[in-house]
Amino acid sequence: MLLRDPFTKALHDARRSLVGWAVAIVAVGTMYAAFWPTMQTPEMTKALEAYPEGLLEAFNYSDLTSAAGYLGSAVYGLLVPLLVAVFAIAAGARAVAGDEEAGTLDLVLAHPVGRVRLALLRFAAVAAGVVLVTVLLGLALLALRGPAQLDSITLGGFAAMTLHLALFGLAFAALAFAAGAATGRRAVALGAGAGVAVLGYLANSVFPQVEGLRWAQELSPFHWYLGGSPLVDGVQPAGVLLLLGSAALLVAAGTAAFARRDIAV
Amino acid sequence: MAEPAIHTEGLVKTYGRNRGLTGLDLRVEPGEVYGFLGPNGAGKSTTIRLLLDLIRPTAGRVRVLGSDPYRDGVALRRRIGYLAGDFVVDGRQTARELLTYLGNLRGGVPRARIDDLAARLDLDLGRPIRGLSKGNRQKVGVVQAFMHSPELLILDEPTSGLDPFLQHEFLAMVREARADGRTVFMSSHVMSEVQQTADRVGIVREGRMVTVARVEELRERAVRKVEVTFAGPVDAAEFAALPGVSEVHVSGAVLRCRLDGRADALVKAAAGHTVVGLLSEEPDLEELFFGYYSREEATRAAA
Repeated sequence: MLLRDPFTKALHDARRSLVGWAVAIVAVGTMYAAFWPTMQTPEMTKALEAYPEGLLEAFNYSDLTSAAGYLGSAVYGLLVPLLVAVFAIAAGARAVAGDEEAGTLDLVLAHPVGRVRLALLRFAAVAAGVVLVTVLLGLALLALRGPAQLDSITLGGFAAMTLHLALFGLAFAALAFAAGAATGRRAVALGAGAGVAVLGYLANSVFPQVEGLRWAQELSPFHWYLGGSPLVDGVQPAGVLLLLGSAALLVAAGTAAFARRDIAV
Repeated sequence: MAEPAIHTEGLVKTYGRNRGLTGLDLRVEPGEVYGFLGPNGAGKSTTIRLLLDLIRPTAGRVRVLGSDPYRDGVALRRRIGYLAGDFVVDGRQTARELLTYLGNLRGGVPRARIDDLAARLDLDLGRPIRGLSKGNRQKVGVVQAFMHSPELLILDEPTSGLDPFLQHEFLAMVREARADGRTVFMSSHVMSEVQQTADRVGIVREGRMVTVARVEELRERAVRKVEVTFAGPVDAAEFAALPGVSEVHVSGAVLRCRLDGRADALVKAAAGHTVVGLLSEEPDLEELFFGYYSREEATRAAA
């Protein structure tokens, strides 16, 4: 029964948005993946060679000569993580701050539900959504593996990439959730998420091109997510731990702040 | 005497530039209907939000049903029903979905109980809340507050936006709750909303309690217009001197006057004649209520 507790209720309320995001992200991912066979022509290789290297790097297009390089760049390198980040930030911001600003949080908190429990269950629902969407994308790409000539990528590679993407989304969901839970303001939650996403993206793809700013990459969630090419080399423990650790810290801090503060009218 | 249902001592809440509470002492006895009156911004909603642990006090003590709303919040709120004056919920769900969910948060409320209450209030549970009128939306709020038969009902301006039929039904539900031994704490900014059901009223102003009175006492003290019809003509002078009686007008067999306080002397004097009819209009407690305000203002100005 989907109306059983705050976790299932949050999933129930998010069902339309979840379906929409899943369709959008899977569509974008499979569409780009389906282009791979056409990318292997000599004309295309020449055309890409004409682009300045810095520009390609800025779009995370590092290696377009192998299936894994293409998929890691075109699908998992730019559009998909940005879409997942936007989805996760919106969902994280809605979990507490959105509800509070709408004036609908009072009613639930006037019921026998502890604040910590409510916040954690709401975040768990967001996390379940992120995992669902990223796993669906992984399965869709796996299904395309034969038709789109992606056979050189192993099952383990897809699994590792999916894990990295899910944790990447989780970290952004946690950030927006924590900012919203601590302040009760949706704009703060969205701003924090968007700000870190933009800075993180630049720190991973643009700043490292400047000598002396190379260190910035180490601080970027995009680097934790993409660094070490999980599609080829499997799960990268450092990246996984950084994404998971920051998500856990943010959720804990946001929930603690939420439990202590006044609920806004 | 049993432990109070609600007890606050020196309750202070300051936030930002809002007035909040400046030292509220409130005591609601178990089993009574308590009207919590005051103008908008006096601190009524702040008090209610403190009782529910939605906000935390700056200073002072709060006990609800013998528990601390912060430390024992979850167990405590199981025993409370709460209705906000502006009942806002996500409008995409149906009333049935919302009430089932809220019931589940309380460990489950039988479907039949929800159906009974909805039928009583003439509420359609199957429609999305978005499509309901303000009055119907408020009915959903009434159902969720009453459906688990809580020991304590906390109602914040409950009858605002209700039509007369619904107000009547709602007040009947409040009376039934009291008859069952439950405690009802209801806030309002108008006396007429609470005077029909409340046993006592507390008047709050600028974050502190100004006065607490029994509604019966207020009634006793209130001025009312009385009309007595006799079998034959009577003499005005006979009634004019009675205690509490003023503005006596006699036209033939009908006596009209103002009565201040108890009706005893007037009734006994009238009993000396043959009384055909007796009409006493419901006293305007609102007037008395504002009388308190102005008196309080005067003492404060003098001090």
